Amino acid sequence: MKPKFVLRIVFVATLITFSPARVLPQEVKAPQFELRDINGRIVRLSNYQGKVVLINFWATWCPPCRAEMPELVRLQRVHRKDGLQIIGITYPPERKSQVRGFARKLKVNYPIVLGTRELKARFSSDETLPLTVVINRDGKVSDIIGGILLREEFDEKIKPLLIKEVEGGLRSGKSNH
Amino acid sequence: MGNRITKLVVSSVLVMTLGVITAAAFTKTVTIKVDGMKCAKCSSSVSKALKATDGVQEAEVSSEKGEAVIKYDDQKVDEAKLREVINSTGFKAVAAPQQ
Repeated sequence: MKPKFVLRIVFVATLITFSPARVLPQEVKAPQFELRDINGRIVRLSNYQGKVVLINFWATWCPPCRAEMPELVRLQRVHRKDGLQIIGITYPPERKSQVRGFARKLKVNYPIVLGTRELKARFSSDETLPLTVVINRDGKVSDIIGGILLREEFDEKIKPLLIKEVEGGLRSGKSNH
Repeated sequence: MGNRITKLVVSSVLVMTLGVITAAAFTKTVTIKVDGMKCAKCSSSVSKALKATDGVQEAEVSSEKGEAVIKYDDQKVDEAKLREVINSTGFKAVAAPQQ
């Protein structure tokens, strides 16, 4: 075997071995739901087709869920124009009045619906709270983030989905404003 | 020739030993009591946030014991910062006892 050929094989093998692996969960269509939010408005997941949707399962009795909410409110405010839509779904046991009071206090700027164990189980068997399901613009689950959403995770797993559309929009001459 | 190889091996071992000792000297382990961590579903956020902190090598969080055992590099992060990270997850790191 020629040394050049061997070198080439070693080079390709090194590239394959050390290239960053991006193992994404298999993209499946997100389960659809239709529920009333705490203000009585109907929330349908299908209404947000074309947006990047974050379904945040949370509870008022879960300290990390409460701790991450101001950041979710900020993300919704900053990235709404980029097509980000957050939907909060509570995990039982919850009282509507308590959820409403909490949401009002934090000035939550996205819909919050009262959920069930079964609804959460349709998205994930992971028992962790909070739990954020990332749905891409095609309505497919692109990631499930267990625990508090870290800024690094947003930058790595969600921001690229938002940027993709902005770039696509620019290419096709669409405006985001 | 043999003498040169011996010297090389001895100096390599010395350098490696020094490296291990230095790394061990910077590694500390602390147990921090965490208040309010009764919900097993929620406690994973604490270990997640700690592990994402620069300088944290290991973090084991137990909701039963209500504590976090953290191994960290004290050149990169200190105990005060670790408590801050725990508090940012909505729980309360119990203050360290006065020495």
